[in-house]
Amino acid sequence: MIAAYRIALVARRELRAERRQPDGVVAAVTFIAVLVLLESLVVGPQVARDAGVAAALFWLALAFATILATMRSFDRELEDDALEGVVALPGGRDALFGGKVLSLTIVLVLVAVVGGALSLVLLNLSVALPLHLLLVVLLGVLALPAIVVVDVVLALRLRARAALVPILALPVLVPQLVAATRGTSAALSGDAVGALSWAGLLFAFAVVYTVIGLTIVPAAIE
Amino acid sequence: MRTVQSGASLHDATVVLDDRAILRAVTVVVGPGLTLVRGPNGSGKTTLLRALAGLVPLARGDRRVSGDVLYIGHRPMLLRGLTARENLEFFARFRGGDTRGIDGALRAWGVGEDMDRPVEHLSAGERRRAALARVETERVPLLLLDEPFADLDEAGANRLRQAIARARDDGRTVVIATHAHPELDELAMAQIAIDEGTATAA
Repeated sequence: MIAAYRIALVARRELRAERRQPDGVVAAVTFIAVLVLLESLVVGPQVARDAGVAAALFWLALAFATILATMRSFDRELEDDALEGVVALPGGRDALFGGKVLSLTIVLVLVAVVGGALSLVLLNLSVALPLHLLLVVLLGVLALPAIVVVDVVLALRLRARAALVPILALPVLVPQLVAATRGTSAALSGDAVGALSWAGLLFAFAVVYTVIGLTIVPAAIE
Repeated sequence: MRTVQSGASLHDATVVLDDRAILRAVTVVVGPGLTLVRGPNGSGKTTLLRALAGLVPLARGDRRVSGDVLYIGHRPMLLRGLTARENLEFFARFRGGDTRGIDGALRAWGVGEDMDRPVEHLSAGERRRAALARVETERVPLLLLDEPFADLDEAGANRLRQAIARARDDGRTVVIATHAHPELDELAMAQIAIDEGTATAA
Protein backbone atom coordinates (compact mmCIF):
# COMPACT_ATOMS: atom_id res chain seq x y z
CA MET A 1 0.00 0.00 0.00
CA ILE A 2 2.79 2.40 0.96
CA ALA A 3 4.75 1.34 -2.13
CA ALA A 4 1.76 2.10 -4.38
CA TYR A 5 1.31 5.49 -2.70
CA ARG A 6 4.97 6.34 -3.23
CA ILE A 7 4.81 5.27 -6.89
CA ALA A 8 1.78 7.52 -7.33
CA LEU A 9 3.68 10.42 -5.71
CA VAL A 10 6.64 10.00 -8.07
CA ALA A 11 4.27 9.77 -11.06
CA ARG A 12 2.38 12.88 -9.99
CA ARG A 13 5.64 14.80 -9.51
CA GLU A 14 6.70 13.76 -13.01
CA LEU A 15 3.38 14.70 -14.65
CA ARG A 16 3.39 18.09 -12.94
CA ALA A 17 6.87 18.83 -14.26
CA GLU A 18 5.88 17.58 -17.72
CA ARG A 19 2.80 19.83 -17.70
CA ARG A 20 4.96 22.90 -17.01
CA GLN A 21 7.78 21.83 -19.33
CA PRO A 22 5.99 19.76 -22.02
CA ASP A 23 9.07 19.46 -24.25
CA GLY A 24 8.91 15.65 -24.18
CA VAL A 25 5.28 15.43 -25.31
CA VAL A 26 5.65 18.16 -27.93
CA ALA A 27 8.82 16.58 -29.37
CA ALA A 28 7.19 13.13 -29.47
CA VAL A 29 3.97 14.28 -31.21
CA THR A 30 5.93 16.43 -33.69
CA PHE A 31 8.22 13.48 -34.40
CA ILE A 32 5.27 11.17 -35.22
CA ALA A 33 3.54 13.79 -37.41
CA VAL A 34 6.71 14.54 -39.39
CA LEU A 35 7.44 10.85 -39.88
CA VAL A 36 3.91 10.12 -41.16
CA LEU A 37 4.14 13.05 -43.60
CA LEU A 38 7.57 11.98 -44.82
CA GLU A 39 6.42 8.40 -45.21
CA SER A 40 3.60 9.32 -47.59
CA LEU A 41 5.97 11.55 -49.56
CA VAL A 42 8.70 8.94 -49.82
CA VAL A 43 6.73 5.76 -50.55
CA GLY A 44 3.67 7.39 -52.11
CA PRO A 45 0.13 7.58 -50.68
CA GLN A 46 -0.95 4.14 -51.95
CA VAL A 47 1.80 2.24 -50.10
CA ALA A 48 1.63 4.56 -47.09
CA ARG A 49 -2.09 3.77 -46.67
CA ASP A 50 -1.46 0.03 -46.50
CA ALA A 51 -2.57 -1.14 -43.03
CA GLY A 52 0.68 -3.04 -42.37
CA VAL A 53 2.95 -0.17 -43.46
CA ALA A 54 0.99 2.52 -41.60
CA ALA A 55 0.93 0.40 -38.43
CA ALA A 56 4.67 -0.36 -38.61
CA LEU A 57 5.55 3.28 -39.06
CA PHE A 58 3.27 4.35 -36.21
CA TRP A 59 4.87 1.90 -33.76
CA LEU A 60 8.42 2.69 -34.83
CA ALA A 61 7.65 6.38 -34.37
CA LEU A 62 6.10 5.68 -30.98
CA ALA A 63 9.13 3.63 -29.89
CA PHE A 64 11.44 6.53 -30.72
CA ALA A 65 9.00 8.96 -29.10
CA THR A 66 9.18 6.83 -25.94
CA ILE A 67 12.96 7.06 -25.97
CA LEU A 68 12.75 10.84 -26.47
CA ALA A 69 10.24 11.35 -23.66
CA THR A 70 12.07 9.04 -21.24
CA MET A 71 15.44 10.66 -21.85
CA ARG A 72 13.93 14.12 -21.42
CA SER A 73 12.38 12.97 -18.15
CA PHE A 74 15.71 11.73 -16.80
CA ASP A 75 17.62 14.77 -18.14
CA ARG A 76 15.33 16.89 -16.01
CA GLU A 77 16.11 14.66 -13.02
CA LEU A 78 19.85 15.08 -13.51
CA GLU A 79 19.65 18.88 -13.36
CA ASP A 80 20.30 19.94 -9.76
CA ASP A 81 20.65 16.24 -8.79
CA ALA A 82 16.88 15.88 -8.36
CA LEU A 83 17.18 12.15 -9.04
CA GLU A 84 19.46 11.77 -6.04
CA GLY A 85 16.84 13.54 -3.94
CA VAL A 86 14.41 10.69 -4.70
CA VAL A 87 16.99 7.91 -4.43
CA ALA A 88 18.04 9.17 -0.98
CA LEU A 89 14.48 8.77 0.33
CA PRO A 90 13.50 5.55 2.11
CA GLY A 91 11.98 3.34 -0.61
CA GLY A 92 12.94 5.92 -3.23
CA ARG A 93 14.81 3.51 -5.49
CA ASP A 94 11.86 1.15 -5.71
CA ALA A 95 9.29 3.88 -6.23
CA LEU A 96 11.32 5.59 -8.93
CA PHE A 97 10.87 2.86 -11.55
CA GLY A 98 7.15 2.42 -10.93
CA GLY A 99 6.53 6.16 -10.84
CA LYS A 100 8.46 6.82 -14.02
CA VAL A 101 6.75 3.98 -15.90
CA LEU A 102 3.30 5.07 -14.71
CA SER A 103 3.82 8.73 -15.65
CA LEU A 104 5.45 7.90 -18.99
CA THR A 105 2.62 5.50 -19.81
CA ILE A 106 0.09 8.28 -19.23
CA VAL A 107 2.16 10.68 -21.36
CA LEU A 108 2.56 8.07 -24.11
CA VAL A 109 -1.15 7.23 -24.18
CA LEU A 110 -1.70 10.93 -24.87
CA VAL A 111 1.04 10.94 -27.52
CA ALA A 112 -0.33 7.75 -29.10
CA VAL A 113 -3.89 9.09 -29.23
CA VAL A 114 -2.81 12.42 -30.76
CA GLY A 115 -0.21 10.77 -33.03
CA GLY A 116 -2.64 8.02 -34.02
CA ALA A 117 -5.39 10.52 -34.83
CA LEU A 118 -2.89 12.53 -36.91
CA SER A 119 -1.88 9.37 -38.77
CA LEU A 120 -5.50 8.46 -39.48
CA VAL A 121 -6.27 11.96 -40.77
CA LEU A 122 -3.06 12.53 -42.72
CA LEU A 123 -3.17 9.10 -44.37
CA ASN A 124 -6.98 9.12 -44.69
CA LEU A 125 -7.17 5.64 -43.11
CA SER A 126 -10.41 3.94 -42.15
CA VAL A 127 -10.59 1.81 -39.00
CA ALA A 128 -12.60 -1.40 -39.25
CA LEU A 129 -12.48 -2.26 -35.52
CA PRO A 130 -11.99 0.92 -33.46
CA LEU A 131 -12.34 -0.74 -30.03
CA HIS A 132 -9.88 -3.47 -30.94
CA LEU A 133 -7.49 -0.81 -32.20
CA LEU A 134 -7.81 1.08 -28.92
CA LEU A 135 -7.09 -2.10 -26.94
CA VAL A 136 -4.00 -2.94 -29.04
CA VAL A 137 -2.67 0.63 -28.76
CA LEU A 138 -3.21 0.74 -24.97
CA LEU A 139 -1.51 -2.61 -24.36
CA GLY A 140 1.24 -1.79 -26.83
CA VAL A 141 1.96 1.50 -25.06
CA LEU A 142 1.99 -0.29 -21.69
CA ALA A 143 5.01 -2.38 -22.67
CA LEU A 144 7.10 0.47 -24.09
CA PRO A 145 8.21 2.64 -21.14
CA ALA A 146 9.23 -0.23 -18.83
CA ILE A 147 12.08 -1.43 -21.01
CA VAL A 148 13.13 2.08 -22.10
CA VAL A 149 13.33 3.26 -18.47
CA VAL A 150 15.61 0.29 -17.70
CA ASP A 151 17.91 1.21 -20.59
CA VAL A 152 17.98 4.91 -19.73
CA VAL A 153 18.88 4.09 -16.11
CA LEU A 154 21.65 1.74 -17.25
CA ALA A 155 23.10 4.46 -19.51
CA LEU A 156 22.37 7.35 -17.14
CA ARG A 157 25.93 8.42 -16.37
CA LEU A 158 27.29 7.85 -19.86
CA ARG A 159 28.00 10.80 -22.10
CA ALA A 160 26.97 8.81 -25.19
CA ARG A 161 23.58 7.83 -23.74
CA ALA A 162 21.63 9.54 -26.54
CA ALA A 163 23.16 7.02 -28.97
CA LEU A 164 23.34 4.11 -26.57
CA VAL A 165 19.73 4.02 -25.36
CA PRO A 166 18.17 3.27 -28.79
CA ILE A 167 20.88 0.64 -29.42
CA LEU A 168 20.07 -1.03 -26.09
CA ALA A 169 16.30 -0.66 -26.28
CA LEU A 170 15.35 -1.43 -29.86
CA PRO A 171 16.58 -5.05 -30.06
CA VAL A 172 14.64 -5.87 -26.88
CA LEU A 173 11.58 -4.09 -28.24
CA VAL A 174 11.53 -5.94 -31.58
CA PRO A 175 9.08 -8.68 -30.46
CA GLN A 176 6.82 -6.07 -28.88
CA LEU A 177 6.94 -3.87 -32.01
CA VAL A 178 6.13 -6.86 -34.23
CA ALA A 179 3.15 -7.80 -32.05
CA ALA A 180 1.90 -4.21 -31.86
CA THR A 181 2.24 -3.72 -35.62
CA ARG A 182 0.43 -6.97 -36.44
CA GLY A 183 -2.30 -6.23 -33.89
CA THR A 184 -2.83 -2.70 -35.21
CA SER A 185 -2.85 -3.91 -38.79
CA ALA A 186 -5.43 -6.58 -37.89
CA ALA A 187 -7.65 -4.00 -36.16
CA LEU A 188 -7.41 -1.63 -39.12
CA SER A 189 -8.33 -4.34 -41.63
CA GLY A 190 -11.13 -6.00 -39.62
CA ASP A 191 -9.45 -9.16 -38.29
CA ALA A 192 -10.93 -9.29 -34.78
CA VAL A 193 -9.41 -12.63 -33.74
CA GLY A 194 -5.94 -11.58 -34.94
CA ALA A 195 -6.18 -8.24 -33.10
CA LEU A 196 -7.19 -9.92 -29.84
CA SER A 197 -4.45 -12.56 -30.11
CA TRP A 198 -1.77 -9.93 -30.60
CA ALA A 199 -3.29 -7.87 -27.78
CA GLY A 200 -2.84 -10.84 -25.43
CA LEU A 201 0.77 -11.14 -26.43
CA LEU A 202 1.30 -7.41 -25.85
CA PHE A 203 -0.12 -7.77 -22.35
CA ALA A 204 2.38 -10.59 -21.68
CA PHE A 205 5.24 -8.38 -22.91
CA ALA A 206 4.10 -5.57 -20.63
CA VAL A 207 4.14 -7.90 -17.61
CA VAL A 208 7.55 -9.38 -18.47
CA TYR A 209 9.18 -5.99 -19.14
CA THR A 210 7.74 -4.54 -15.93
CA VAL A 211 9.05 -7.46 -13.84
CA ILE A 212 12.50 -7.06 -15.47
CA GLY A 213 12.45 -3.35 -14.66
CA LEU A 214 11.38 -3.86 -11.06
CA THR A 215 14.25 -6.32 -10.62
CA ILE A 216 17.00 -4.39 -12.37
CA VAL A 217 16.35 -0.70 -11.79
CA PRO A 218 16.86 -0.42 -7.99
CA ALA A 219 20.24 -2.19 -8.31
CA ALA A 220 21.20 -0.27 -11.46
CA ILE A 221 20.57 3.05 -9.72
CA GLU A 222 23.01 2.15 -6.96
CA MET B 1 32.28 -1.29 19.32
CA ARG B 2 29.94 1.52 20.37
CA THR B 3 26.23 0.89 19.96
CA VAL B 4 24.59 3.57 17.83
CA GLN B 5 21.39 4.80 19.55
CA SER B 6 20.43 7.38 16.93
CA GLY B 7 22.86 8.04 14.17
CA ALA B 8 24.98 6.20 11.69
CA SER B 9 28.26 4.43 11.33
CA LEU B 10 30.65 3.08 8.75
CA HIS B 11 32.91 0.19 9.65
CA ASP B 12 36.06 -0.48 7.65
CA ALA B 13 34.34 1.12 4.66
CA THR B 14 36.11 1.38 1.34
CA VAL B 15 34.55 3.17 -1.62
CA VAL B 16 36.01 2.76 -5.08
CA LEU B 17 34.82 5.02 -7.88
CA ASP B 18 36.28 4.89 -11.40
CA ASP B 19 38.97 2.44 -10.23
CA ARG B 20 40.13 4.90 -7.55
CA ALA B 21 39.75 4.36 -3.81
CA ILE B 22 37.97 7.47 -2.56
CA LEU B 23 37.49 6.15 1.00
CA ARG B 24 40.01 3.70 2.47
CA ALA B 25 38.96 1.44 5.34
CA VAL B 26 37.10 4.24 7.09
CA THR B 27 35.45 3.64 10.45
CA VAL B 28 33.33 6.48 11.79
CA VAL B 29 30.47 6.63 14.25
CA VAL B 30 28.20 9.65 14.44
CA GLY B 31 25.62 10.16 17.17
CA PRO B 32 23.21 12.86 18.34
CA GLY B 33 24.54 16.41 18.10
CA LEU B 34 26.65 18.11 15.46
CA THR B 35 29.58 16.34 13.84
CA LEU B 36 31.79 18.28 11.43
CA VAL B 37 33.65 16.59 8.62
CA ARG B 38 36.68 18.67 7.73
CA GLY B 39 39.21 18.20 5.00
CA PRO B 40 40.67 19.83 1.92
CA ASN B 41 39.06 19.72 -1.53
CA GLY B 42 39.01 16.22 -2.96
CA SER B 43 39.77 14.56 0.37
CA GLY B 44 36.59 12.44 0.36
CA LYS B 45 34.16 14.52 2.48
CA THR B 46 31.32 14.24 -0.02
CA THR B 47 31.88 10.51 -0.53
CA LEU B 48 31.88 9.97 3.25
CA LEU B 49 28.47 11.66 3.52
CA ARG B 50 27.15 9.79 0.48
CA ALA B 51 28.37 6.53 1.98
CA LEU B 52 26.55 7.32 5.23
CA ALA B 53 23.43 8.12 3.18
CA GLY B 54 23.71 4.83 1.29
CA LEU B 55 24.16 6.59 -2.03
CA VAL B 56 27.41 4.90 -3.00
CA PRO B 57 28.09 1.17 -2.89
CA LEU B 58 30.75 0.02 -0.45
CA ALA B 59 33.49 -2.12 -1.99
CA ARG B 60 34.25 -3.35 1.52
CA GLY B 61 32.93 -2.79 5.04
CA ASP B 62 29.42 -2.04 6.20
CA ARG B 63 27.08 0.79 6.99
CA ARG B 64 24.62 0.99 9.86
CA VAL B 65 21.95 3.62 10.20
CA SER B 66 19.16 3.97 12.70
CA GLY B 67 16.17 5.88 11.39
CA ASP B 68 15.53 7.87 8.22
CA VAL B 69 18.23 10.00 6.62
CA LEU B 70 17.96 13.45 5.06
CA TYR B 71 20.88 14.04 2.70
CA ILE B 72 21.30 17.41 0.98
CA GLY B 73 24.21 17.46 -1.41
CA HIS B 74 26.15 20.13 -3.28
CA ARG B 75 23.17 20.86 -5.47
CA PRO B 76 19.62 21.52 -4.16
CA MET B 77 18.11 18.23 -5.47
CA LEU B 78 14.84 19.97 -6.41
CA LEU B 79 13.05 18.95 -9.61
CA ARG B 80 12.83 21.67 -12.24
CA GLY B 81 9.29 22.20 -13.49
CA LEU B 82 7.97 22.05 -9.93
CA THR B 83 7.68 24.93 -7.50
CA ALA B 84 9.65 25.03 -4.27
CA ARG B 85 6.47 24.25 -2.35
CA GLU B 86 5.59 21.29 -4.60
CA ASN B 87 9.09 19.87 -4.25
CA LEU B 88 8.98 20.05 -0.46
CA GLU B 89 5.45 18.63 -0.37
CA PHE B 90 6.64 15.68 -2.45
CA PHE B 91 9.49 14.91 -0.05
CA ALA B 92 7.31 15.30 3.05
CA ARG B 93 4.49 13.13 1.66
CA PHE B 94 6.94 10.49 0.51
CA ARG B 95 8.11 10.12 4.10
CA GLY B 96 4.51 9.99 5.26
CA GLY B 97 4.91 13.33 7.02
CA ASP B 98 2.85 16.45 7.46
CA THR B 99 2.87 19.19 4.81
CA ARG B 100 1.26 21.91 6.89
CA GLY B 101 4.53 23.44 8.04
CA ILE B 102 5.99 23.84 4.56
CA ASP B 103 4.67 27.33 3.79
CA GLY B 104 5.92 28.61 7.16
CA ALA B 105 9.33 27.00 6.71
CA LEU B 106 9.76 28.46 3.22
CA ARG B 107 8.75 31.89 4.51
CA ALA B 108 11.21 31.58 7.39
CA TRP B 109 13.94 30.74 4.89
CA GLY B 110 13.08 33.85 2.82
CA VAL B 111 11.48 32.02 -0.11
CA GLY B 112 7.89 32.89 0.87
CA GLU B 113 7.15 35.17 -2.08
CA ASP B 114 8.69 32.75 -4.56
CA MET B 115 7.42 29.45 -3.19
CA ASP B 116 4.94 29.04 -6.07
CA ARG B 117 7.41 29.78 -8.83
CA PRO B 118 9.06 26.85 -10.65
CA VAL B 119 12.47 26.36 -9.07
CA GLU B 120 14.31 27.00 -12.35
CA HIS B 121 13.17 30.63 -12.05
CA LEU B 122 14.78 31.03 -8.61
CA SER B 123 18.36 32.12 -8.03
CA ALA B 124 20.96 29.59 -6.88
CA GLY B 125 20.76 31.04 -3.35
CA GLU B 126 16.96 30.81 -3.28
CA ARG B 127 17.07 27.21 -4.48
CA ARG B 128 19.59 26.43 -1.76
CA ARG B 129 17.36 28.06 0.87
CA ALA B 130 14.34 26.08 -0.36
CA ALA B 131 16.36 22.86 -0.18
CA LEU B 132 17.59 23.64 3.34
CA ALA B 133 14.03 24.30 4.50
CA ARG B 134 13.71 20.50 4.32
CA VAL B 135 15.71 20.36 7.54
CA GLU B 136 12.59 21.76 9.22
CA THR B 137 9.87 20.13 7.13
CA GLU B 138 11.19 16.55 7.26
CA ARG B 139 11.69 15.64 10.89
CA VAL B 140 14.18 12.84 10.34
CA PRO B 141 16.72 11.89 13.03
CA LEU B 142 19.83 12.00 10.80
CA LEU B 143 20.80 15.05 8.73
CA LEU B 144 23.72 14.88 6.30
CA LEU B 145 24.55 18.28 4.81
CA ASP B 146 27.29 18.66 2.25
CA GLU B 147 28.74 22.20 2.07
CA PRO B 148 25.33 23.63 3.03
CA PHE B 149 26.62 27.23 3.20
CA ALA B 150 27.38 27.32 -0.54
CA ASP B 151 25.34 29.98 -2.41
CA LEU B 152 23.97 31.46 0.84
CA ASP B 153 24.24 35.15 1.71
CA GLU B 154 24.89 36.26 5.29
CA ALA B 155 21.20 36.16 6.25
CA GLY B 156 20.86 32.67 4.82
CA ALA B 157 24.00 31.51 6.61
CA ASN B 158 22.64 32.87 9.90
CA ARG B 159 19.37 31.09 9.33
CA LEU B 160 21.25 27.86 8.64
CA ARG B 161 23.34 28.20 11.83
CA GLN B 162 20.09 28.64 13.79
CA ALA B 163 18.55 25.57 12.12
CA ILE B 164 21.64 23.50 12.90
CA ALA B 165 21.63 24.61 16.54
CA ARG B 166 17.93 23.80 16.84
CA ALA B 167 18.35 20.36 15.27
CA ARG B 168 21.24 19.65 17.62
CA ASP B 169 19.20 20.78 20.63
CA ASP B 170 16.33 18.52 19.49
CA GLY B 171 18.68 15.55 19.78
CA ARG B 172 18.99 14.97 16.05
CA THR B 173 22.23 13.77 14.54
CA VAL B 174 23.64 16.42 12.22
CA VAL B 175 26.71 15.77 10.08
CA ILE B 176 28.10 18.67 8.04
CA ALA B 177 30.94 18.46 5.54
CA THR B 178 32.70 21.77 5.09
CA HIS B 179 36.22 23.05 4.72
CA ALA B 180 35.30 26.46 6.13
CA HIS B 181 33.06 28.04 8.77
CA PRO B 182 35.20 27.72 11.90
CA GLU B 183 32.33 29.26 13.92
CA LEU B 184 30.62 25.85 13.76
CA ASP B 185 33.35 24.40 15.96
CA GLU B 186 31.57 25.86 19.01
CA LEU B 187 28.37 23.98 18.15
CA ALA B 188 30.08 20.70 17.26
CA MET B 189 30.31 17.71 19.57
CA ALA B 190 32.79 15.90 17.37
CA GLN B 191 34.94 16.44 14.33
CA ILE B 192 36.18 14.04 11.71
CA ALA B 193 39.27 14.99 9.75
CA ILE B 194 39.53 13.38 6.36
CA ASP B 195 42.46 13.45 3.99
CA GLU B 196 43.10 11.33 0.93
CA GLY B 197 40.22 9.04 1.86
CA THR B 198 41.41 8.29 5.39
CA ALA B 199 39.32 9.57 8.29
CA THR B 200 40.47 10.28 11.82
CA ALA B 201 38.66 11.73 14.82
CA ALA B 202 39.91 15.31 15.23
